[in-house]
Amino acid sequence: MSISMIGLFQEATPAADAMDGLKNAGFELGSFDVLTGTPYPEGAFGEHVPQHRLFRFPAFGAIIGFTLSLFLTAATQLAYPLVTGGKPILSIFAMLIIMYELTMLSGVIATVIGIIFESRLPNLKMGAYDRRITEGWIGVVINLEDESRADDAEKVLNYAGAVEIKKA
Amino acid sequence: MVNLSRKENHDSHHTLPPENVESAVIVKDLIDTTNGTSSSFKIIAITLGVMSVLGIIALIIKWINHGDDSTRWGYIAALVSFLLSITGGAPMVAMGPVMAKANWVRPLTRLAAIFSFAGISTIIVLIPLLFLLPPLIVDGTRRRSIWFEAPNYSPHIWGIIGMVLLLITGIALFYSAALPDFAAMRENSTGWRQKLGKKLSRGWVGTDSQWRTLRMRIGMFGTFYFFVMVMVNFLYTTDFAQGVVPGWRDAIFTLYHTVSSWQGGVAALVIALWIVRKKMNLEKYIHLDAFWSLGRLLFALTLLWIYLFYSSFIVFWYGRSENDKATLDLLVKGPMIWAFFAGATFIWLVPWWILIWNRVRKSINGMAIGASVIIFGLLLDRIRLFVAAWSVPQEHIHQKWLKQIPDTIYPDVYDIVIAIGSISLSILIIMLMTKIIPVLSIWQIQEFNLLSKPIKYIRGNATLIAKPD
Repeated sequence: MSISMIGLFQEATPAADAMDGLKNAGFELGSFDVLTGTPYPEGAFGEHVPQHRLFRFPAFGAIIGFTLSLFLTAATQLAYPLVTGGKPILSIFAMLIIMYELTMLSGVIATVIGIIFESRLPNLKMGAYDRRITEGWIGVVINLEDESRADDAEKVLNYAGAVEIKKA
Repeated sequence: MVNLSRKENHDSHHTLPPENVESAVIVKDLIDTTNGTSSSFKIIAITLGVMSVLGIIALIIKWINHGDDSTRWGYIAALVSFLLSITGGAPMVAMGPVMAKANWVRPLTRLAAIFSFAGISTIIVLIPLLFLLPPLIVDGTRRRSIWFEAPNYSPHIWGIIGMVLLLITGIALFYSAALPDFAAMRENSTGWRQKLGKKLSRGWVGTDSQWRTLRMRIGMFGTFYFFVMVMVNFLYTTDFAQGVVPGWRDAIFTLYHTVSSWQGGVAALVIALWIVRKKMNLEKYIHLDAFWSLGRLLFALTLLWIYLFYSSFIVFWYGRSENDKATLDLLVKGPMIWAFFAGATFIWLVPWWILIWNRVRKSINGMAIGASVIIFGLLLDRIRLFVAAWSVPQEHIHQKWLKQIPDTIYPDVYDIVIAIGSISLSILIIMLMTKIIPVLSIWQIQEFNLLSKPIKYIRGNATLIAKPD
């Protein structure tokens, strides 16, 4: 049975020590993480940096929106070929407004979808957590497949100076 | 003796850096601001609610009585422009400094983002204008517009899509940055607010990965917001102002409208910040530094107003073609001359001479006065432009330039009630939002404390600010 264990720290340095300790004890990168109520500078806890693909979503969304808008503006103007002011039927400057707006619309929608995927939200199984994290405490959480290494993890957290350890 | 008095004078000139506050105290203080409502809050909210309803009723009655005469809707067009400027401009203003990683902006980003919700009232007031705006083909001939070969109702369709997109992007920007605070409400609030926090926090726990994506999405939505806001200003100014006046061709007008929108947004934010600081007892979190920094921005934007106005004016002045002269006669010298002088006085001249003084920019009350003057000036400026534009009868739309300058149009009782109602609705929405989520972002205030420390520097005091990444 998988378990989630959290060590609570009042200061940042022992929490960083706990992260180092878990790494040195051979726990798999990505199985432990640091929980904070406010964003610390990146790398402050020596944490594992996961790869993300968030930038792809707005980019693909914008490309899709741009392509659709190009098709929409070109098709409508070719379907109703009215010459205005001696300009060509497919006048790029007249098409730009709609192309811009649809590109933005599609980009925004794709970003919202991307955030849902990349933020792993909604997080239906929150695991071990403590209210005091929102008040400035720091949690080091480790997710284990089974209880075989739970004692090792607890030792590391205690050694680093965890004020309290909770399991879920 | 001399040294002592100089030192005292020196110390009084500089303000002490803000003290750090415990994270737990921040959570408690800010969540407490959402709980309970004072009797004065209730009275103001009910009054605003009543005025909002009256405004909507007046809008409907005006539509029934004057729905066939576009010349009587200039004040409503001006109102849409005014609301768009304030509610669309404020969130943008907070985004710029955030992207530049300014520390002083952290306490005011939430309040700025909340302004997005007030865009609902802008959309409500825009609806009748969509029906009054002439189609692209009038009497069998295509009128001059930015829509060369586009379908007949393109300005109407893309105009409303743009406004809704601005609202959606603003709300997405707000929600992206609000997730950690919804989690704080889930853990620390009670009753329906706790349930709401649980639902909207989506299981946020504050892992490193979540913080990284939060930073990125704030950046992304901030960028989108800028692009969409500029586009909406472009569409509204070209379709609902220049497009309805024969011969009015001004390349700078869109930029003028956008920049003065930022000016109005900063001014509205200063006033909102002043009220929140005073009425919610948040002096501990909203420091003088925020007002001082906004003051510099507001001063720069005030100077930009005259720069852009003059850049536009001088082209018409020296151009002296028939349409140049007609445009100046309509917008500056003619029926709206009173609005031009009053608007220029209050959006530029008076604030310039108020904000030019560092002592004023460094005072919280002085900034609030300067900002209030600007808001009044912005309203007059929008009246000058849009009332004049909409006073042109639609049967003249195919003229090469305006042959006959319309008379001054004064607001009727419906215009006044609609204006009061829609502004009340905007304020009411912002007020109600402050009871749903803390008006200052908990995590950003905590971050402010995490990254800045008051220190002694040689013989003076300073704030040491860490600049991550």
